[in-house]
Amino acid sequence: MRGPITSGAILLAGVFVFLKFILPLFTAPLPASLIYLYMTLAFSGIMLYGTMSASSLESLMGPVFRFLSGEGQSGTGKLARLAVLVLFPLLVGWQTYTSLAPSDLPPGENRTIHPAPPGEFVGLANPYQNNEANINMGKGLYAAYCSPCHGANYDGKGPAAKGFNPPPANFADPGTIAQLQESYLFWRIKKGGVGLPVEAMPWKSAMPRWEVELPDEFIWKIIMGEYDGAHQSPRTWEEDD
Amino acid sequence: MLNKLRFLATVTLVGISGILGSTVGFASDPPPADEAAGSVSIRMYQVEGSLPADDPNSPQWSAVPESIFKLAPQVHWPERIQEVTVQSVKVKGLHDGQNLAILVEYEDPTDDAKDAAAIEFMVGDKKAHFAHGQPMLQVEGGPVNIWFWKKENGKALDMSAQGFKTLAAQEKQDVQATGAWEGGSWKVVFTRALQTEDEQDVQIEPGEWRSVAFAFWDGAVVDGLVKEKGSQKAVSSWWSIRAEPSADNSIYGWVIFGLALAAAFEFVVVRKLRKGQSA
Repeated sequence: MRGPITSGAILLAGVFVFLKFILPLFTAPLPASLIYLYMTLAFSGIMLYGTMSASSLESLMGPVFRFLSGEGQSGTGKLARLAVLVLFPLLVGWQTYTSLAPSDLPPGENRTIHPAPPGEFVGLANPYQNNEANINMGKGLYAAYCSPCHGANYDGKGPAAKGFNPPPANFADPGTIAQLQESYLFWRIKKGGVGLPVEAMPWKSAMPRWEVELPDEFIWKIIMGEYDGAHQSPRTWEEDD
Repeated sequence: MLNKLRFLATVTLVGISGILGSTVGFASDPPPADEAAGSVSIRMYQVEGSLPADDPNSPQWSAVPESIFKLAPQVHWPERIQEVTVQSVKVKGLHDGQNLAILVEYEDPTDDAKDAAAIEFMVGDKKAHFAHGQPMLQVEGGPVNIWFWKKENGKALDMSAQGFKTLAAQEKQDVQATGAWEGGSWKVVFTRALQTEDEQDVQIEPGEWRSVAFAFWDGAVVDGLVKEKGSQKAVSSWWSIRAEPSADNSIYGWVIFGLALAAAFEFVVVRKLRKGQSA
């Protein structure tokens, strides 16, 4: 017969395996902090269930109490108890040390990758016809101005890309331009890295402010060439457009 | 009896949560940078005694762990360049509580008069764009302090900039540099006091993070033209640098305190349990 402690431990292990290994098969991996939160909730649930009545409390905690109190123990039981009693303070001491010791990791930064654009860049439509001539002109301009960083294959892996932090955007990734409207790209290309709001850390971006060098016509056509070359379509909000 | 058991259950629950919390490392995210991606920061180690401030080849440097940063051509501004000679830089740092020394080591196949290296810092609390602190449209930026070494001058210039075309040598020069080329690589050591009287300078306070970036020019002459000059250079992004704080022995005090607290907690729990069982 399985006691409540074994059942609880199996349940906890199951929750961990599910969160850490099975869920990432279907979606993005969970951050460690979220896994810890879910594990704490699962543990609290098991403890609540186990302490609901006097008899369940006894069957859940009785073995733990008897183990810790050391009454009538001998051999391996005695050794195991000693090990737990010695290891727990050591663990606390080690944790204290690692949380206080100086680290070479600078403080974490949360950079917003696609911040909100300024109002004047919301909902602009590309004034140029989406035809082969315009797309080809856009691809030519892309090859000249954008591909050194964003790559001839639109994958963010141009020859100049590897030294940059943040790295140049990968347009072939469905998480970049496929999630954005053309007017958003128009803003990002025209104003460049220095046009970003504070949450996007403009001081780190190497993206040129292309309005200094290119007319709007070139920028709109580059956008067309970029979507076509990366096999993506711009996001639209109104289906009947 | 039941109340006592409830109390003990609560105490044990708190204890076990503590253990779980302290071992959360088992599920920690992987560190953000791996070997291939390069480093994210530089630690300037504190030394007793003298700094190898004017000798890039001092054996003292060989024991210092290095940080590695990849470089890219400067593309942000016109007169950009698409290929550069220097692909990455190894950086080491030391300080003695008064002065600092930063060694940059990078591959450049030829020793040319126009070869140059620079270290850039943000100055003050305002963020500065890594391209010479040029103005940002939605954020009020700050200035940068640039330490510029050129082979033909054989010394460093202490410079300031806040935007393109504003780069200028400071009135008060506080930086020294010495370079040595050997077998296809440059080693340049920059040195300065951690803190200066000049408000245009970056002030290095041990224990505090500062933002740092690098730039390198291959001054080889190809077809009568200097290969890399001005805005045509290899650059890094902003990374972090910190002078190691003095050894803080209070950490060990806190560790002992933690150990004692945990042991006392165990003692109380076990004693309660024993009383409970004999009752």
